[in-house]
Amino acid sequence: MSATAYDYTDPMSKKRTPPAKGRKPRRPSSPSRLARLCRWLLKLGLLLSVIAVVGLIYLDAQIRSKFEGKRWAVPAKVYARPLELYPGQRLDMDELKQELKGLNYRFVRRAEQPGAVEWASSRARIYSRGFSFPDGAEPARNMLLAFSGNQLTDIRDAEGRSLPLVRLEPMLIGGIYPKSNEDRDLIRLEDAPPHLAQALVTVEDRAFYDHWGVSFKGIARAMWVNVRAGRFVQGGSTLTQQLIKNFYLTSDRTLSRKLLELPMAMLLELHYDKDEILEAYLNEVYLGQSGNRAIHGFGLASQYYFSRPLEELELHQVALLAGMVKGPSWYDPRRHPERALERRNLVLSMLHQQGEISQSEYDTARQRTLGVVKQRSLHKGAFPAYLDLVKRKLRDEYHEDDLSTEGLRVFTALDPLAQTRAEAALDTSIKALEQRYGARAKDLEASMVVTDPQTGEVLALIGGRATRYQGFNRALDALRPIGSLVKPAVYLAALEQGYTLTTPLEDEPLSVKLPDGSVWQPQNFDRRSHGVVPLHRSLALSYNQSTARLGMEVGLERVIDMLERLGAERELKAYPSLLLGAQALSPLELASMYQTIAANGFRMPLRVIRRVTDADGNELSRYPFSLKQQVQPEVVHLLQYALQEVAREGTARSVYRTLPSQLNVAGKTGTSNDQRDSWFAGFTGDRLAVVWLGRDDNGQLPFTGSGGALKVWTEFMRRDRPEPFIATRPAGIEYVWIDEATGLRSDERCQGSRQLPFITGTAPDEKVDCGLDNPVHRSLDWFRNWFN
Amino acid sequence: MKKVYLIAGLTLLMAGCAGPNPYRAPVEDRGRISPPAPAPGTVVPAETAPGVRVTPLGQAPVIRAQRSEQDAPVPVQQPVQQSTRQARSPAVIALLETARKDSSNGDLRTAQNRLERALRIAPRDPEVYIQLADVQRRQGQFLQAEQVALKGVSVAAGQNNALRRLWQLVADIRQEAGNAAGAKDARQKAAAY
Repeated sequence: MSATAYDYTDPMSKKRTPPAKGRKPRRPSSPSRLARLCRWLLKLGLLLSVIAVVGLIYLDAQIRSKFEGKRWAVPAKVYARPLELYPGQRLDMDELKQELKGLNYRFVRRAEQPGAVEWASSRARIYSRGFSFPDGAEPARNMLLAFSGNQLTDIRDAEGRSLPLVRLEPMLIGGIYPKSNEDRDLIRLEDAPPHLAQALVTVEDRAFYDHWGVSFKGIARAMWVNVRAGRFVQGGSTLTQQLIKNFYLTSDRTLSRKLLELPMAMLLELHYDKDEILEAYLNEVYLGQSGNRAIHGFGLASQYYFSRPLEELELHQVALLAGMVKGPSWYDPRRHPERALERRNLVLSMLHQQGEISQSEYDTARQRTLGVVKQRSLHKGAFPAYLDLVKRKLRDEYHEDDLSTEGLRVFTALDPLAQTRAEAALDTSIKALEQRYGARAKDLEASMVVTDPQTGEVLALIGGRATRYQGFNRALDALRPIGSLVKPAVYLAALEQGYTLTTPLEDEPLSVKLPDGSVWQPQNFDRRSHGVVPLHRSLALSYNQSTARLGMEVGLERVIDMLERLGAERELKAYPSLLLGAQALSPLELASMYQTIAANGFRMPLRVIRRVTDADGNELSRYPFSLKQQVQPEVVHLLQYALQEVAREGTARSVYRTLPSQLNVAGKTGTSNDQRDSWFAGFTGDRLAVVWLGRDDNGQLPFTGSGGALKVWTEFMRRDRPEPFIATRPAGIEYVWIDEATGLRSDERCQGSRQLPFITGTAPDEKVDCGLDNPVHRSLDWFRNWFN
Repeated sequence: MKKVYLIAGLTLLMAGCAGPNPYRAPVEDRGRISPPAPAPGTVVPAETAPGVRVTPLGQAPVIRAQRSEQDAPVPVQQPVQQSTRQARSPAVIALLETARKDSSNGDLRTAQNRLERALRIAPRDPEVYIQLADVQRRQGQFLQAEQVALKGVSVAAGQNNALRRLWQLVADIRQEAGNAAGAKDARQKAAAY
């Protein structure tokens, strides 16, 4: 700024010279002194001119570097997964409607422009907006979707050709803002709707296309108006000057700033054409305030006031935004609708007078209401827990500054439909629990993680009961004892060591002396011991004593090793109580472990981000599908059987009161000591969910894992209607009929026998004789013999 | 196996004709008396699980738990031993085809993107794993390629053609990665199908 200070002292010093010359006749006696003074002044003038030129060059460089470099801090944009549409897809019309509403589609009688949809009883015509994905552009399409029941059956384009696969644009779920809290959505001039540029020029600077950055006519007119009014009512700034003011200078109204504005505006005009300046103006201008977030540029303002992309705005909306430039808070259409309407209509009439719009366009637009949406858009800010996880992942790889200024685009795996179902399930179930348990269920907190077990993507995340408020993210940060959710790891370690599903375990009291001298004596939930039980039953009914004995036999190290292979990443303490879940983990870590079980022993890192690109769509990082086998699929198959038994016959069998039997749910209930944590982790074919219920103060709950968390889990799956889990039988597995009482080989027709999987060659050889001519069975034998 | 399917089919048919409750599970009650239905909300003691058994039905499960308050235990179904192949959707066909084109044009990253989209739509289609593993192999990501192919093996149970190709692919990947013994082992497995 020091250079610029000389810039305006220069003309003033020149002004001082004439009076000096004026003194000349009075002091004829000292010509040499006068000559010296003149020379001195000349030198000074020259010096100052040089400094002024240097200053101008400096200014010029500043202007160009800023205008050509990165002009704005553009926050990173975070997107949900795009909804893929294809014939045969499990998607009902309500879900599609929800997605379209989240994308701010307009439901109209005729869908004639992007962002509109026509809705009928079993069909929908969608005019999609198109989107430039990092892996290719999806064009805007006018397409007809047909539904049957909860299935999308057909997609056809406007010409009636069938489309195999279409992507809707992804929902914007949030941004990462810079410290200045400036938010903007950059647009190009060619994306601006018709009339925006004219409206702006008409209202703010009619001579824009004719002047060189400064309009003396404008200044004169403004002065005339101000003088007549006797106060300051109109500024003579051109759009270029306004841009300079916002772009390069501070907002304080000082003389120096005002004087800098003129040369800078002219310099800007010298280098760039009108369209470039106008485009910069469209993106720079301040148009409102949302909390501490400053709304800059017409792109974001369009979303903020109308929930639509700028190119979809209609004439009356364009006129409102153009009118608001003069005073975004004075004309705020939400706080001062009358003022805003008056201003809008003034803009419309000016456009009409200028001949930019026809009489009928003018009449129609004047009749329209303001058309401003309610303050909070439907989805922005609606997923704080998920966004929190996204930001943490991003911060591992990117600088905070880059995230908030470089306009990065972050594509996540969030499925807003699954998220909504999870929230609704949680809400309904907790209300039911509160009704049932009254005061004993007060202050209940919750968290939930939903993933796709086939791809390892995190689809939904709940960090607390108030799902819309950012706060303590329990899904990530609440470390709570996992109770019986640890058991699958114990059994898996055992199965890997050669135990089978029928290995008899002793469910009897045990005492383990600990290094500190104390004695660990685990109890069963029902305070009873159950004697000899087959391994699969011990897991299904979640017996503690038999599990503890099994774990001690297998060895703590092996169990810990298994937990780590499945996905536990923190240091696990080798106490015997680990075997019954004394270890605290977060719901997200548990999801990662159960994911490995659901994926046949292949561990997949949980993915929240699919891809990050720069503002131009160039890929910066990708998080591809990756996996690593941790446990042999045969061994996992045995565990998957036992986990299905948990749901069929064990502690989680209440699921089938609600869910269809063919879903083949596999999962495990968990309750921590003294009933402080209620857990359920389980999966179906394409959904895995971990639910935790508890209290932040660690208070006791009136229910167990199956009484609380399982209810939420079940309600979620009921709403989500996932694919059934189908455990394909690996090559090294055989199914053998086993007599349950003895654990010996039996026959399919014997009472008390069941078919169990074994790693080939590990089934018992010994056979029981159940007397196949038992009359009870004959009635069924005839049935079977039909087909012999 | 045919017999089982026949039984399954007929059982379903009969279940369908059974009258008031079409979803009644086709269970064989072997004469034990079920415990009385407990009051809503009470925890059903685990021991009362009656020995009710279901005939393994292959993959035609239309059984549903009765919507009674009693949790009638329906034991775990035996997983399908035959092919679990489902008809491939046009979306997946389109993605696989374009991915194949991308990959033969040398655009392996685009191919990979498409195959990951296909994977989300059809995570149990071995063909997706075969192509994805092959694209990763061509990118020199041998470890990942092998793991993806092995995951393919785990979803391809019963589909001999796919299993043979997957093991052959594992063999190729291991060979390229310099694991001759592993390649030989995989080749033997491929030969078994």
